[in-house]
Amino acid sequence: MTRAGRYIHRFRLLFYAAGVGAAIAVLAGFGFFFTVLRDLPRVPHPLSRIIETPPTEFYAATGERLMLIGGRDFIPLSRVSHHFLDAVIATEDHRFWEHHGVDKLRTLKALWITLFEKGRIQGASTITQQLAKNLFFSFERSWMRKFQEMLVAVQIESQYSKEEILEAYVNQIAFGVSAYGIEQAARIFFGVAASDLTLPEAAMLAGLPKSPTRYNPFRYPERARNRQRIVLGRMTAVGYISQEQAELAGGETLDLRPGQAIARPGSYFLDMVIHSLEERYSVQVVYHGGLKVMTTLDPRFQRLAAAAVKTGLADLDAQLGLDKDTPDAMRPQGALVALETQSGAVRAIVGGSDYGKTEYNRAVQHHRLPGSGFKPFLYYAAFESLDMHPATLAVDRPVTIPVNGAPDWTPENFSRRHDGPMVLKRAFSRSVNSVAAQLIEATGPATVIEAAKRCGINSEMSPVYSLALGTSGTSPLDMASAFATITNGGVHHTPYTIERVEDAFGRILEEHIVSSERTLDPDVAFQVLDMMQGVIDTGTARRVRSLGFALPAAGKTGTTDSYNDAWFSGCTATLGASVWVGFDRDRGMRDRNGRGITGGRGAAPIWTDFMLKATEGEPTREFPVPPGIRFEYVDPVTGAPRDSTAPDAIRVALREGQTAGTSFLGEVPEMDTAGVGSTEIGPMETGPTEIEPEEMGPTETDLDD
Amino acid sequence: MDWSEPRSFREWLSRLVSLRCLLTLLIVYCLALSELRFDWVERSIGAYLVTTNPARPRSGHIWEKSRDTVIARKTLEKIVTDRQASQRSALDATNLVEMVATLPEDQGAMLSADRFRGLYRNLPDRLAADLMSPIELLRLSSSGKWARAYLRKQDGGLKIYLLDPGNRVLKEIDVLSEFLRRIEREGILIEGALEDIPGLTNRLYPAQQFFSALEALPKEARIEVLDQPETLLSMSNPVDRVGISDEALSGFIDIGFEFLENGTPKVILVQARDWAVWQLSLLLEGEDSPPPEGLTP
Repeated sequence: MTRAGRYIHRFRLLFYAAGVGAAIAVLAGFGFFFTVLRDLPRVPHPLSRIIETPPTEFYAATGERLMLIGGRDFIPLSRVSHHFLDAVIATEDHRFWEHHGVDKLRTLKALWITLFEKGRIQGASTITQQLAKNLFFSFERSWMRKFQEMLVAVQIESQYSKEEILEAYVNQIAFGVSAYGIEQAARIFFGVAASDLTLPEAAMLAGLPKSPTRYNPFRYPERARNRQRIVLGRMTAVGYISQEQAELAGGETLDLRPGQAIARPGSYFLDMVIHSLEERYSVQVVYHGGLKVMTTLDPRFQRLAAAAVKTGLADLDAQLGLDKDTPDAMRPQGALVALETQSGAVRAIVGGSDYGKTEYNRAVQHHRLPGSGFKPFLYYAAFESLDMHPATLAVDRPVTIPVNGAPDWTPENFSRRHDGPMVLKRAFSRSVNSVAAQLIEATGPATVIEAAKRCGINSEMSPVYSLALGTSGTSPLDMASAFATITNGGVHHTPYTIERVEDAFGRILEEHIVSSERTLDPDVAFQVLDMMQGVIDTGTARRVRSLGFALPAAGKTGTTDSYNDAWFSGCTATLGASVWVGFDRDRGMRDRNGRGITGGRGAAPIWTDFMLKATEGEPTREFPVPPGIRFEYVDPVTGAPRDSTAPDAIRVALREGQTAGTSFLGEVPEMDTAGVGSTEIGPMETGPTEIEPEEMGPTETDLDD
Repeated sequence: MDWSEPRSFREWLSRLVSLRCLLTLLIVYCLALSELRFDWVERSIGAYLVTTNPARPRSGHIWEKSRDTVIARKTLEKIVTDRQASQRSALDATNLVEMVATLPEDQGAMLSADRFRGLYRNLPDRLAADLMSPIELLRLSSSGKWARAYLRKQDGGLKIYLLDPGNRVLKEIDVLSEFLRRIEREGILIEGALEDIPGLTNRLYPAQQFFSALEALPKEARIEVLDQPETLLSMSNPVDRVGISDEALSGFIDIGFEFLENGTPKVILVQARDWAVWQLSLLLEGEDSPPPEGLTP
């Protein structure tokens, strides 16, 4: 064979092999096509069926719509700003009007890059392909999924007009922050209808679908801005706008709706509502049933609460010496619950510093030790079961309580000193731990637990003596509810977040009935309430007054060992709130000087900030005094009756049959009831206690619990 | 035409650039170009897929959502239907007993204040007073705050909440099952003789003797035995015999009044306070002594 013949022979073989290979490939392609076809999903008709699911709507107590889930606000293409349509086409698929579902040139280019440029994956999905993916497929990346997506896309193109496809696309696209569809997005981000979007707004929104979280303009304004410029650049390149228009639009300040930005913190509240609805009606009903849910949320309170927590945590960061470079996980968190004391309606919930960063709801799910914040329940139990009262005399002294099967319990005072005899009202307002320990020893932990449960504490409590110092975890929601019971004359209202639920046709599925239960004796509850007022007026939370809160209020601070948790819970006659701050992981809060952050320093300012604004303009409402209560003035050290004009006299609330100067907790040294002082353990021996805190001017740390 | 292998490179080349071969290449090129220009492959596949669409499975996110929507609608429809049925039966009920009988356990019905007042008025005076003081009802009605009543079946009894327009509870009433049994037995007409009713067979008295003894009772005791004699007076046939039950239920004793209607005996049951019946029994038995401690009017 000649040389040429050999070449020809080889080429011929190659040709035949290629021919056979091509034939096999075609056959395999057909086989693959028909195999894939079997599993290919049916395309709905009409395409607008994709938005048939009615949305579940959540409303605030004021009637304002808070959120919409599960549904879409469908609008025809004619009601979408042409700027947005141009922007989305230029960015996502500039040959949209030309191709038939697949942009072949772009696909080949993407295939080349994906196959031959290591580490790079190029996407080439057209708008139709994206629609097919969103309607039928998961976000798993696979060749099979991609092929199916292409097939569905070409079918959609054959079945529907370009306008119908674009209409379906813009109505189902996800923009983040629970905004689905352009109408919702336009309203949520800019407070305008989709038809009224300006070029800069449209460019901003068109940039979001690529990564709604990453380009969220509420959280990452700079990133969103850069993305907007890219979109404007694409529009210029495609020829939709001129360079001047792009520059002008890129430089324009956008009017993002701040109200919507903080609507998300309301999500702690809405999360709780949604979870509760899911349990009652099922997930399908909540997300696909088109419910109308009237909640108890007060948007103004919610905004104030979110702002107060934000400001308070920023102050705390500063006190702790944390700067902007400190990672979020190393910063303290906070939670606030506000509810109406006379109904239990929850008006605001802040479950953390930022819902976008942490969805864990510390206001409801978190069970942190309340510290001395638990003492109102202890004092209530002691007053009720042992007929004690605020003028009962106790001695602040070192206490050791034997515990079966465990080492003796020796609680220490926050101030590390003992102030000798004092009436319970003073012991309460100064949050004296040794007196609390004696009280629980006399009352018994089971009685205290029972009292706490009657108040509204639902979390598990261990029947141990240390319970007196708040060693069983509880949530801010429980604390707010329990404090409301005390301040509401012993009438408990179960906290609730849903007023009414209707179906899509307005038929009522459920209504909340504001029922109440008298769980506490009103006279005893008032005695505790009166002491809690003392905490704010002259005790560990007097910072509330120094910050300008003047309405009658009652509350209690709480701080746990090593300053892991700082609490303040308090109520006016109508509104109650509980605030917690601390690190998520067990870690103490100490300022730059090593001083611990107490409830009075960390939580009370947040409470005050919120309550000051929430009750602005409200008239002064005193707590109603039950008929069985009378007031007397006593010596805070001896418990003996005093004239109201006596400089050191404190006012106590007494029930019928109770007399000042005759009730003692444990063994009390002989006293000169004229109020001269003690004869055995005098206050001066253990520390100065006779002067009221504000006069004496001790540091807050000294006073706090 | 027989095909032979090209012998030389030149021959092979000449065959390669032959008209037939060029035409083939041109056709392939035109096909490729027309596909790029007119997307006929996609259109063909798309058209074919449209024809297979009805036979393909309803799978994928959008169809799952659709199924969820159907489930949600059905669930909601059932909830609403149940609720409406409860509401309807509550509206149709002539008394609280009927209402309890028709309400499913732990379900309730919302009534207007007027409707509740109607139910209250349908109760015999004594039972109504035991349920709630009429004066208190008047006070609530005139306060302008009372808007609705919510009745919920609970533990065989009924929980009644009188609500203001904001759904705040103005008054809460617990209606125990014993009370409902009293309502159930009050004024009912039973076909048959006194001997047919368990508990009423031991103490049977002629009507004359019973009413004479009743007349001899002090007024306050008389009312507690027969507070609404209108039912008996309205009957066309006179009472022949009276039977007094041996059992007391929540402080009340059944008394059966037997009369004949078209030759058939019938009994009307009423309930009387146990202490008043005790005084009556003494008279009927011919004794006259003060009631024991605890049974005072």
